[in-house]
Amino acid sequence: MTQPTAHIPNGLPSQGRMRLAVAGAAILAIAGLAAFYYASRKVQPIAAASGLLVTINDETCVPGELTVPAGRNTFRIVNATNRAVEWEIIDGVMVLEERENILPGFTQTVTAKLPAGEFEITCGLLNHPRGKLHVTPSAESAADAARPALIAFVGPLAEYQVYLALQGNALLRAVQALDAAIQAGDLAQARALYADTRRPYKLIEPMAESFADLDHAIAPVADYLEQREADPAFTGFHRLEYGLFAKNSTDGLAPVSTKLVADVTALKERLRNLKLSPERMNSGGARLIAALAETRIPAGEEHYAQTDLAEFEANLAGVTRMMRLMQPVTSKAAPAIVAEIEAKTVSVEAALAAMKGPDGYPPYGEVSAESRRGLSQKMQTLAGAIGKLNAAVGLE
Amino acid sequence: MHFRRYFSLSAFALAAAAGSGLALAAVSPLDLVKPVADYKIYVSEKLETLLTDTKAFTSAVKAGDVAKAKALFAPTRMSYEAIEPIAELFSDLDASIDSRADDHEKAEKDPGFTGFHRIEFQLFSENSTEGMAPFADKLLADVTELNKRITDLTLPPEKVVGGAAALMEEVAATKISGEEDRYSHTDLWDFKANFDGSKKIFDLVRPLIESGDGAFVTKVAGNFTTVDTTLAKYKSGSGYELYDKLSEDDRKVLAAAVNTLAEDLSTLRGKLGLN
Repeated sequence: MTQPTAHIPNGLPSQGRMRLAVAGAAILAIAGLAAFYYASRKVQPIAAASGLLVTINDETCVPGELTVPAGRNTFRIVNATNRAVEWEIIDGVMVLEERENILPGFTQTVTAKLPAGEFEITCGLLNHPRGKLHVTPSAESAADAARPALIAFVGPLAEYQVYLALQGNALLRAVQALDAAIQAGDLAQARALYADTRRPYKLIEPMAESFADLDHAIAPVADYLEQREADPAFTGFHRLEYGLFAKNSTDGLAPVSTKLVADVTALKERLRNLKLSPERMNSGGARLIAALAETRIPAGEEHYAQTDLAEFEANLAGVTRMMRLMQPVTSKAAPAIVAEIEAKTVSVEAALAAMKGPDGYPPYGEVSAESRRGLSQKMQTLAGAIGKLNAAVGLE
Repeated sequence: MHFRRYFSLSAFALAAAAGSGLALAAVSPLDLVKPVADYKIYVSEKLETLLTDTKAFTSAVKAGDVAKAKALFAPTRMSYEAIEPIAELFSDLDASIDSRADDHEKAEKDPGFTGFHRIEFQLFSENSTEGMAPFADKLLADVTELNKRITDLTLPPEKVVGGAAALMEEVAATKISGEEDRYSHTDLWDFKANFDGSKKIFDLVRPLIESGDGAFVTKVAGNFTTVDTTLAKYKSGSGYELYDKLSEDDRKVLAAAVNTLAEDLSTLRGKLGLN
């Protein structure tokens, strides 16, 4: 059995093809035209048919070593053995592209968009020596790397959306557990569970902040309310924190807690459907880190529980998660800035770690103004570095 | 063999079609984020089930309980087969977990022949678990490693979307022929799992193409229904009949629908701007 051969001129620009189709209509029956149209869409383009030929023999590929420019490449794989084979392009242990079940005597076409680098190709059975595929940088690949297309961010953004979903679930579970303790009037248990609710919230805060209504219900700080703790708008986490840690009581917290569970449930749903974009990731990350540097580190936010340092750590971890997920794309476009972000992140992490004692972080009230200033400065340089990213990768 | 030939012709056509697809204007790249994220969650859930089931399966093998191991073989594989486009992204694990005897020089006798099908061979052809303990341990270790690697993996969107067609090609190439589970003849279980995995991907991206190409969506959905109803005739208990119960007529119906699905779904990448 032989493969079908291309017999329709495919190199024509679409206008030419159209004219040909129109001319065909003049002489052919309608059915013939339909057949032609169908064929012209199905037949393999000539350009693809002239792809790089690789023949799989009994033990080896011929050629056993290929060099191609980065970008879209077409390979025509001929199976010259007497068993069905699959052909794969492999990067370390990852399969970049494959064609399964190429029957004896058959040729299959594989088209792959390849980045510059060194790869292997399989040659028949699993124990056969692999061939080499060298992909050299090209003008196309350099341009793609310098200004990555939006599509390059889809994988990292999807992974971040999964992270939001997982942390959103963890947050809801933690808030429900806290709610059970509060409804039962169990002060000790509620105080112990409070911190568990804060970490997942702080991890997703860069995106949670984008919903103003929920943000105002879930996380208002008394400092910004007219009547401070007595203000009716003082709700959410800090209202609970105030009762549990400043008043040492669960009195009056039950309705606040019920409302918080409802708001967090709504937040979780909104995060699942949040439309993410790389600009938003970068600007949201820079904004949160700057807010830490400018207001939260100097003034503190957890006035009653004094757990600010653990919260800064969680905020940083959440932003770092976003940055590192996008690194495979951003580090190609803006290697210097990505390296700078990474270095500044490590420096803030180290500064926080240095403040940790054998029992974890000290109450924030014990952290001196000088230490706060040092941490704030490091955080500010990190915010500055992240702030440069959008422009550097062509997103502004 | 007949069906494999039929398939390979259409594979040629679909390779051509995949290269020339034009993206639907209405689809923005960022619209793909949610379907890819939802698919990652689906994959994670399947991996969790796979790990639990593989533990039970390999324990039965190691305990020498042939009957129990035989009963657990097909259901355990389903979670793997449903996410095969992602599961097989790691060439080393794919070879050690799911390679067939054909992939090895000395076939069943090859020391490199490991994983599900090695154990399947022993259970169903030799009716024993003799010598299987090391293979069982290795399989569980490999599945554990696979779970770990995929958890850390950023899924390539083109592999996710391309997976819908890849799963149908897999069905056409190895299930309709009865090649995959040649010792146990439980191919219809794998078939169903491949089918579910493909339909999951289609369902996730469907909202993105519905308005731009309604005719395509209707046609594909129709073929999914045809396969589903035909396959449903062979349900037995919580699973499926053995492969040899499949009638010649139904085999033809399935082959035609599966090949059309493979061909149609191969245009998804192009429609979504992923080529």
